[in-house]
Amino acid sequence: MRALDRKLLRDVSKMKGQMLAVGLVMACGLAMMIMSRSLMLSLSTTREAYYNEYRMGDVFTGLKRAPNAFRQQIEKISGVGTVETRVVGSLKLELPGMLEPADGTLISLPEDRPLQLNRIFLRSGRFPEIGKANEVVASEAFANAHQLVPGDELDAILYGAKQRLKIVGIGLSPEYVFEARPGESLPDNRRYGVFWMNERDLATAYDLDGAFNNVVVDMAPGANPAAVMAELDRLLDPYGSLIAYARPDQASAKQLDDELLVLNALSLAFPIVFLSISAFMTSAVLTRVIRLQREQIAQLKAFGYSSQQVGVHYLKFALVIVAIGLVAGSLAGVWLGDNIVTMYHKFFRFPSLTLHLDYGAIGWAFLASSAAAFIGAGAVRQATQLPPAEAMRPEPPAEFRPSIAERLGLQRWVSPSLRMALRNIERKPWQAFFTTLGLALATGIPIVPGAMRDGINYLMDFQWDVAQRQDVTVGLIEPGSASTLNNLRNLPGVIHAEPFRSVPARIRFGHQSRRLSVMGVPPGTLLNRALDHEGNPLPLPPEGLLISKKLAEILGIVPGDRLTLEVQEGRRPKLEATVQGLITDYAGLSVYMDIAALRRLMGEGGTVSGAHLSVDARQWKTFLEKAKEAPRIANVGIKDAVRQSFKKTTAESIDLIQGIYFTFGIIVAFGVVYNSARIALSERSRDLATLRVIGFSNSEVAGVLIGELLMLTLIALPIGMWIGGGLANIIIQAASTETMRLPLILTPLTYASAAVIVLVSAGISFAVVGQRIRNLDLLGVLKARD
Amino acid sequence: MNPIPTAASPLFCGRNLTKVYTAGEVEVRALDGVDLHLYAGEMVVLLGPSGSGKSTLLNNLGGLDVPTSGTLTYREQNLTHATERELTIFRRDSVGFVFQFYNLIPSLTARENVALITEIARDPMTPEEALDLVGLSDRMDHFPSQMSGGQQQRVAIARAIAKRPEVLLCDEPTGALDVKTGITVLEAIERVNQDLGTLTVIITHNSILSEMADRVIHLSDGRIAHVDQNPERRPVRTLAW
Repeated sequence: MRALDRKLLRDVSKMKGQMLAVGLVMACGLAMMIMSRSLMLSLSTTREAYYNEYRMGDVFTGLKRAPNAFRQQIEKISGVGTVETRVVGSLKLELPGMLEPADGTLISLPEDRPLQLNRIFLRSGRFPEIGKANEVVASEAFANAHQLVPGDELDAILYGAKQRLKIVGIGLSPEYVFEARPGESLPDNRRYGVFWMNERDLATAYDLDGAFNNVVVDMAPGANPAAVMAELDRLLDPYGSLIAYARPDQASAKQLDDELLVLNALSLAFPIVFLSISAFMTSAVLTRVIRLQREQIAQLKAFGYSSQQVGVHYLKFALVIVAIGLVAGSLAGVWLGDNIVTMYHKFFRFPSLTLHLDYGAIGWAFLASSAAAFIGAGAVRQATQLPPAEAMRPEPPAEFRPSIAERLGLQRWVSPSLRMALRNIERKPWQAFFTTLGLALATGIPIVPGAMRDGINYLMDFQWDVAQRQDVTVGLIEPGSASTLNNLRNLPGVIHAEPFRSVPARIRFGHQSRRLSVMGVPPGTLLNRALDHEGNPLPLPPEGLLISKKLAEILGIVPGDRLTLEVQEGRRPKLEATVQGLITDYAGLSVYMDIAALRRLMGEGGTVSGAHLSVDARQWKTFLEKAKEAPRIANVGIKDAVRQSFKKTTAESIDLIQGIYFTFGIIVAFGVVYNSARIALSERSRDLATLRVIGFSNSEVAGVLIGELLMLTLIALPIGMWIGGGLANIIIQAASTETMRLPLILTPLTYASAAVIVLVSAGISFAVVGQRIRNLDLLGVLKARD
Repeated sequence: MNPIPTAASPLFCGRNLTKVYTAGEVEVRALDGVDLHLYAGEMVVLLGPSGSGKSTLLNNLGGLDVPTSGTLTYREQNLTHATERELTIFRRDSVGFVFQFYNLIPSLTARENVALITEIARDPMTPEEALDLVGLSDRMDHFPSQMSGGQQQRVAIARAIAKRPEVLLCDEPTGALDVKTGITVLEAIERVNQDLGTLTVIITHNSILSEMADRVIHLSDGRIAHVDQNPERRPVRTLAW
């Protein structure tokens, strides 16, 4: 090893604490980068392979009923590759030991030809045998939630008729990577499952013999999906078709796309923040090393080392930091990635999902961290440009002047140690600025998960206590008459029932449109209420619509605008309605209307799609038993069950996210304070030793040093809280989707915990540095000028 | 060895003082059996070549270090076995230090450097008084970087004496200064010694300075080689080198 490199090793080992502090801050950014890029790679390659191998469809549509022979017409559409016609229906499940009803989707498996699109990956068991009635493949998510295995049997109600289903296989489909009840933003695998059954049995059960009600199509290479969808709509129109949609609008595919978008944002935002802080820290460390080694640099040059050799030697200090950051960042990134993949298993169902380490990301991480370190290493230029003779002389004394506070005449209020601190800060404003910025970011980072947690709690209260006050929402298999409502009202324990009419429609304004349901409820409803941003009920206008603020944003409309409703039910009329007001809600997109007005628009009498019920708790059991048996009821949504499931699922993710953010906040706070304190200690060891010699105690001397950092920390806290609020807002806005959006809730507790994290980390740094003050070499430091 | 017999009891009393440093495997005996008494109001010069033990002796007297063996007492207090805390209090209350390189705090003005001491001392003079004593009334609000070396050293003296210490320890106070400046600094020290009656110990390489002292202690190889008693102190302003 060359002598200079040996010097590097020894110098580095002497300042390992500081190198580690900077390296770890860098590692936080690199870990986030490697984690998110690797997750993106894992999700996208796994999805790609799964979609290709199991042939995920490109265009989807539903219809009332068309004869099987009509499939050939669809195959003739230009641009269409393969066509899969299916029967898709809903079922209710009765599970032993589970009081509340579960429901699911049942999809047909063709018998006269192989299944070509949305093929099933069989985890265990087999496919249903032709001719054997009631054999099904159950989705893995549901089967796991109930510990079901092939051979188990379930009671189900298909289209009002009770049947016993035999599970023969456990499977997965690319169509249900994200397996949630249609329209729901989180999976509830205990209460919702997907099943596959032979076509003939299923068609018989749903009264669709020789017919289909669902179409999946894949595109010929180079074909235009929009043209295919338009043609499909035209062709299927006489068969009561809904409007066709392409893969990006498919619920499961959309969730995966959303997740990739969020990961992409994470992979950029966090590395930028952390690498900026580490660049500043590198700069501070190197400046100090070079100042301390002024005379060594002069000697090296006097011996004949070139400026370039000296420069490279000091750049290697930065490379050591990069090496620490890269190794720690890669390990942490892989570890975090593995944890998140485990969490993904709850949301995304693939035949296999493991973390694919993105080696490209490690390459990028190396380049980005080297760039940050070399920007920070600008100080090396001082070393290379220093003429040897000048470097041999001690540095000129530092220049100071009275601080602003004193120039304003406040010196009477300022103690000498505070003066030292103030003047030091003013003499090196950039150092103080970056230290404060680093600490402010450390304060801001833990605020994000706190805001998310509070946002989720607020959302749950708002959505399920204030807006939806029913205990149960009952949906009918098909819209029914007023007498059906009476039947629901007469279920045991029902205290209050309010009908609703839900009409699927495409809502169009200008070029923008969305597939939604228009919800008709009685005016003055007590249960399912439309609210303003303060949670006060908005009165339903006798005509016109109330719509979600988010929907107004997407469509670009304001109250008073007129929308087109392309109704997807019954005679499928095209209607116009005026937006009368905007409502606040946090999940899904809603369109409310007075039920009477909606019925008038639809030209129908007392039609209901279902009802919101409040149920006497004492008769809860009986109510559920009867509801499960009622043939016309398609599904029973129990508010508390949904809420519990939502809470459980989000709580686990939030705990993980909060853990990550808190750790990063601690590392940054500790790193920044420790680094600043060590540099200040080294720069001012002579002053501090002098104070010790002339009679200051250890704690008084520590007070001088720590006072300055404490002052910066206290300045940083409110700035950090402000930054944290902004950061939380940006992240919550970025993660705000049509399915779910969080309100920005910032509580004193969130701010306080961020402040505690920073103060405790800073306190630990102070303690470490305080130990060094006790070990100050009083004699040595007074003898020689450094 | 007690070359200056007086009726008064000594401030410092050292017996068989030894200080051994271990540097790696080498043992250095910086002090090797030193006996001495120092009295209130005295002006003592420590003379000797590099490595003779002057600074080690001064550090032990000032409570910056403790002897390896032997006993050192200050008045009734045994400094040999004093704790870190007791040494800090001893330095705070009783000792003033002046160093070759001044060791002022660069971020504080002359007045504030002195105020550092007056704020923690028991019965200090005001910073203004102390600075006046060293002839720097007109430089009170200057920062170290705005002053010459001599002025900085006089601030250091003012800082050392503002607490009215009983002992003033000066390690090469003129080592970094030219002759003219050196004289003004020594005048300040002389004045403090006379006006306040402070025991003053000066380390120097410069044998000319020995003429301003009451006693000159010559050190060599960690031992006291001999002690000269000046019949009369020579005023600093008449010195030249």
